Amino acid sequence: MARSGTPRKFPIMTLRTSFARLAAVLPLMLIAACGGSEQAPTTGGSGASDISETITLYTCVSDTTIQPVIEAFEDDNPGATIDLFRAPTADLNARVAGDVRSGGLQADVIWACDPLTMQDYVAQDLLGGWTPETEVAEELRTEDYVGVAVLYMVAVSAEGVTPPESWSDLTGDAYADGVVVPDPGFAASALGALGYFSQDPDFGIEYYQALKDNGAVQVSAPDDVTTGVAEGVYKAGITNANSAYAAQNAGSPIEIVWPEPGAIAIYGPAALAADAADSDTAKAFLTYIASEEGQTVIAEAGSYPALEGVSGPTIPEDASIVFPDWAALADQKDDLLADYQQIFGA
Amino acid sequence: MAGARYLRGATLGVVTVAAVSVVLTPLLVMARTVWIEGGADVADILTARGLSSAVKNTFLLAVAVTVLAVPLGTALALALRRPNLPGRAVWRVVILLPVLVPDFVLGYSWLRAYGRAGFTDDLLGVHWPGVQTPVGVTVVVVVNAVPLVYLITAVGLAARSEPAMERAARVSGGTALSVLRTITLPLLGPATATAAVLVFVLTLGTFAIPQVMGSPAGFSTITTRIYSNLARSSDPLAFTEAVTLALLLVVIAVLVVAPADALLGPRLRVTRVATTDSTSVAGSRAGGRWAATGIACYSVLAMGLPLLALVATAITRAVGLAPTPENWTLDNFLAVLNARNGEALGRSVMLAAVAASVLVVLGGLVAALERSRSGRGLATLVSLTLVLPGSTLALGLLLAYGRWLGGTLAIILLAYIAKLWAFAHRPISGALDRLPPDELHAARISGAAPLTAIRTVVLRPLAPALLAAWLVCFLTALHEVTMSSLLYGPGSETLAVVVLNSAELGQVGVTSALSVVITLVLLIPALGFWIAIRGLNRGKASLSPVPPVPEPAHVG
Repeated sequence: MARSGTPRKFPIMTLRTSFARLAAVLPLMLIAACGGSEQAPTTGGSGASDISETITLYTCVSDTTIQPVIEAFEDDNPGATIDLFRAPTADLNARVAGDVRSGGLQADVIWACDPLTMQDYVAQDLLGGWTPETEVAEELRTEDYVGVAVLYMVAVSAEGVTPPESWSDLTGDAYADGVVVPDPGFAASALGALGYFSQDPDFGIEYYQALKDNGAVQVSAPDDVTTGVAEGVYKAGITNANSAYAAQNAGSPIEIVWPEPGAIAIYGPAALAADAADSDTAKAFLTYIASEEGQTVIAEAGSYPALEGVSGPTIPEDASIVFPDWAALADQKDDLLADYQQIFGA
Repeated sequence: MAGARYLRGATLGVVTVAAVSVVLTPLLVMARTVWIEGGADVADILTARGLSSAVKNTFLLAVAVTVLAVPLGTALALALRRPNLPGRAVWRVVILLPVLVPDFVLGYSWLRAYGRAGFTDDLLGVHWPGVQTPVGVTVVVVVNAVPLVYLITAVGLAARSEPAMERAARVSGGTALSVLRTITLPLLGPATATAAVLVFVLTLGTFAIPQVMGSPAGFSTITTRIYSNLARSSDPLAFTEAVTLALLLVVIAVLVVAPADALLGPRLRVTRVATTDSTSVAGSRAGGRWAATGIACYSVLAMGLPLLALVATAITRAVGLAPTPENWTLDNFLAVLNARNGEALGRSVMLAAVAASVLVVLGGLVAALERSRSGRGLATLVSLTLVLPGSTLALGLLLAYGRWLGGTLAIILLAYIAKLWAFAHRPISGALDRLPPDELHAARISGAAPLTAIRTVVLRPLAPALLAAWLVCFLTALHEVTMSSLLYGPGSETLAVVVLNSAELGQVGVTSALSVVITLVLLIPALGFWIAIRGLNRGKASLSPVPPVPEPAHVG
């Protein structure tokens, strides 16, 4: 299944947007569109929409985030009920694969944790074709799905270790035999990071070779990175900001850095199932989670919102953000993973 | 004997329907899916970069674990058989502790106990670098498998041993070693062999420990590749690859288990008169002390320190803090023990109890049929779903029954039955040599109804095996998470699903607390079972209707 004909270098579309600049522009856009965002969603025609069905939501976002969102939506829409199936990405994808081959997708809405998954489902005509009106930035949505939460891949360092300033610091002597990375074969967010580094000419897949040559090891998930660094097993590592801040807030002795050229943004997109194209409740839910009100609930529950201007968990003032080119990554991921496994495999 | 023939037909019918439903259908549906969607890709999948080393790793791991765990578990069972062993009652429970802990938690607890910046590193300044290598993976999978071997061989000893013959041999001048070699171990052969088959298959399909511990060394197995593909299974190619690799595991299991069962089958058909003399040869006092010291060392190193590290993680506020009183918290336990989880706990207990009860019946039926020609192959067949990693087996059931049963408790129950059938069947099979057809016939001729005959003649000597099988299925089902987290729906969340969902994934404190709570909650019923088993063993001699007539066995 290896697609050996594809080139190893990719067109560079990496956006290096200073977060401050982005933050300055987006509130203006928000204000401009303010009137529309508060209205109840309507589905064309004159009839009032019926937001009182029971819909099924499949998601991989954490329970702590999804429960308050569902509660708030159900409070706003008496009669509407959301049946939740929440599972890690691998289980979620297996469930969808099972559904599709046995009577059809049971979900009306899917809220995934990375765009690659969504691209696959759109390609199979399972999802998409409709997105709510939203002010979410264009980098975080397509015509078929809209980003409603973001994961940021950041660096963590252990107590007594000088925190890295840039990603490339991790290949230096100061971190020899002490860097830990999450396995992109296990965690989609790690695959996003692999995608970004491989696409940036300053890094390339060679970055992972340099890490490996510097004695870096892989563990399964970003949480294992956080745990390992907090326990002092490793000097520094690549993990997601939620996991790092959760540990730090609980008291774990770690430093969190948003390294240059930027923390890697992996957005969690939500989309309408093709079979739910007529469901007003499903559309209302998508509209809600992409609205300022829904984004506020998501942010207060501890996830990074996709909508700029909504204040969420910690982002340092001078932090930069970079984005992988997801469309290119979709075609490259199998080869990339194979290359990665050549480096970090046994 | 029309009744017996009818009973036999009914047994075969029930087992066949069950095996077709939970084993054959999911496997065939998976094979059909690969055929339809990826027929052309199978060759590519099977020649993909890295697969050959994953297959090699998987096979070597299974061989190494079997070779290590079977002698260790057998030695423990033999040592714990000595009535004069100091602390015997305690060790019998301690040996079973790994069954109470989900395997990924066991792996993590070993990293915390012996890894860099772990327990021994903090206290003594020494750590074991090998813990995150294939060697560490092997050792922990062995620790995880030993309780199963112990249970099967202990039950085998209870049912098959010939204490009178052993005593006679000792009195006639045989050394302890020669008695072990010429009498005890040969009699135990079928139980040991059945334990070996079970451990081998279980290790082929083990996922969490290689993933948690082997990742830093880049150690990949077929199961870790399956998971990696499932994680990307929104891509149909990755989905096909996951299912194909799962079927590859099944093929490997068939190639190993089918010949083993073919060899094992005839040995299980030895007929002997049941003895009910379960007292064993005491052995010397010094030997008992040595054995107790050995078991104590094993228990402390393999389970004590890792579980202590686990408790320390569960009561510590955040990872990386010293487990000292100022950092203690009960938050992790509160996260496990809230009202919402109470409902899920009730559901889990009920589901595990139903699954274990059904499994003991099905396991017993297969063990009974296995003795005859018509039941050949059934033992192998019901072991095939054990080799599938939980997520893949759940996927197979979803493909087969999701249309009708998706999200219900019923599909989770089917998954438990499919996964644990071999767990229930093998211990019973290893003990079933005691089923004496002559006594059954005698009971029937004397006027007992078929069911009465089975209850009084068959079930009584098998009680320890049936209880052991029930116990191991119940405990395993109670903390099962990989299948239920893929299959649950509204109203069918199990405890592990709710707890692991409510924790941010990977929050080791809460996960550790879950294991500690399950361990504590289960130790109480486990102790109850142990007392019950002991009572049964003690009561057997006095309950026996006919004085036992020991007779030389015809083995092999």
